[in-house]
Amino acid sequence: MAGRVIVITSGKGGVGKTTTSANIGTALAKNGHSVVLVDTDIGLRNLDLLLGLENRIVYTLVDVVEERCKLKQALVKDKKNPNLCLLAAAQTRDKSSVSAEQLKKITDKLKKDYDYILVDCPAGIEQGFQTAIAGASEAIVVTTPEMSAVRDADRIIGLLEAAEGIESYKLLINRVRPNMIKSNDMMSVEDVENILSCNKIGIIPEDTGIITSTNRGEPIVNNEKSLAGKAYINVARRINGEDVPFLDLDEPKNLVGKLKKFLSGFSKQGKEQ
Amino acid sequence: MEQCLDDNMYMVDLGEVNSAAEVIFELSNILDNDEVKNKRIHLRLGDVTLNQAQLLSIKSLINGVDSTLSTIDTKSSDTEKVALSLGIIVSNESEENNTEIKPQTTYTPQEEYKEEQNSEEAYKIVEESDISVTEEQEPVEEQEIIQENVSSQTSQEIVEDTLQEEVKEEISPEATIEQPQNSEQKNDVKDELEVIFGSTPVQTSIFDTELPKEVYETKNELEDIVVPEEEYTKEDLEIESFPTKYIKQTIRSGQVISYEGNIIIIGDCHPGCEIKAFGDITVWGILGGIAHAGAAGNQKARVRALKMNAIQLRIADCYSRRPDSLNTVYVEKTNSFTPEEARIINNEIVVFKIND
Repeated sequence: MAGRVIVITSGKGGVGKTTTSANIGTALAKNGHSVVLVDTDIGLRNLDLLLGLENRIVYTLVDVVEERCKLKQALVKDKKNPNLCLLAAAQTRDKSSVSAEQLKKITDKLKKDYDYILVDCPAGIEQGFQTAIAGASEAIVVTTPEMSAVRDADRIIGLLEAAEGIESYKLLINRVRPNMIKSNDMMSVEDVENILSCNKIGIIPEDTGIITSTNRGEPIVNNEKSLAGKAYINVARRINGEDVPFLDLDEPKNLVGKLKKFLSGFSKQGKEQ
Repeated sequence: MEQCLDDNMYMVDLGEVNSAAEVIFELSNILDNDEVKNKRIHLRLGDVTLNQAQLLSIKSLINGVDSTLSTIDTKSSDTEKVALSLGIIVSNESEENNTEIKPQTTYTPQEEYKEEQNSEEAYKIVEESDISVTEEQEPVEEQEIIQENVSSQTSQEIVEDTLQEEVKEEISPEATIEQPQNSEQKNDVKDELEVIFGSTPVQTSIFDTELPKEVYETKNELEDIVVPEEEYTKEDLEIESFPTKYIKQTIRSGQVISYEGNIIIIGDCHPGCEIKAFGDITVWGILGGIAHAGAAGNQKARVRALKMNAIQLRIADCYSRRPDSLNTVYVEKTNSFTPEEARIINNEIVVFKIND
């Protein structure tokens, strides 16, 4: 069975493409799939940091393209999960070092040996983006509930629709704050979906744990208590074709809140009757 | 230089080659040939001395073309020791005895099948070894697993037959498997993964977790007694005669400094930068990137820094990486640092604190 090549893109920078790639990749690998993460953000690589593999990189994507090493030599195995590999980007070069055809060749090769190839796309719509989507047949568009990010996502979806290889794309809404949505200070998930007229594959709540996990070089899906981690695990399961309900982000943390929610639900039921 | 082809054994004769670099060069030329693929390689070396890193890179070169390095024939005792420590069989037999090295039982079902297609002679051997050819329809991955298995198994057999007792002790009784068919069953998911992930990469061979030099250690020079007295050699002279590049700036992520001589940097080297020198690298600041001293192969080259926090240190052909425990967000800048120096000792990169 040939593997699936999924590009993770957004247009706008800083919405969480790399975090999403690292976490979905780790979650898929945890579920027993073989996964390669390909960092195409050449010159501004971060994926290795998030996975804590920075010190293990000897050969990079550019070395593979320029035939200084074999593809297998450049794959860095994850510390914990042997199912997960990273093909890192070169830090000392720029986006022009790899062309769309060259990346397509590499992803086509990887497809034969791995279940999932996740391509972490750079920000922007220039050559780097065109290169990253070249080999992919599916896309995940990451956005946040902010107007600027939604606009950029709209632009990206337009480009994805125009691109030849992309067969399907899904929306991942990141950094959602239920409290702000409640008080009408933030676009709701439904609003974003309506504006972009695109189906969602996941909703990730804002989580301060992400910052800690980035700094430690350990994806948040390894932290079982984290809500964002759970959300990413669910996204991974949905990618794999499972039908997983979306997390209830309104879940209050303390006992009083839980009691309140329970009571309010109870009174609503009473009214309906 | 001759290459004799006998069945699955492929002999590479580099007996007249005198330096390690030439060995690797010649070998990589030979490995470009299609007929060297999927073979067990018998490597004949002359007087040339190889260290662990060089032998490892030779091994990974050979693994890169889906072949295995099964035996080595060398006249150098140092090379022999290194090879034994890596589990490669060493034979000191003279010229024409290669046929004895080739064990009869090494034919895996797959290999037999190939042989069968190739020639009738090989088919006779199949009959002799009396193993039925049943695995023909197996997928490619499994074939690889079996080939790996059997080659390791046979190598153990040879070791038992011909080599010293020391080596015998290293092999655990569990490792010797009597029937190839059984060994196939014992290998499950783990081996499959090895086939997918670990068959060639340099990362796994050089940075194999079992190897001691995976991570560089920091040692206190005063406490450490094992440091051998180093002689003043040609290599030291070479470093001293190199020109020196003097840089007075902070080297930031993505910047590459390379120079065919020594490099002195007054300033910090941030993570993500690369510094490559034929001679020594001296950083008057925090070294946080990748430093490669002696890039042309000079083993006496050293890396010095006020604070050693390098992601990777490379000296000549030795690699090491920062311990995972030191993967901190940033290094605190203080007024006083203890300068550190990295150099090769017994083929490992060791970092010393310079207290005096």
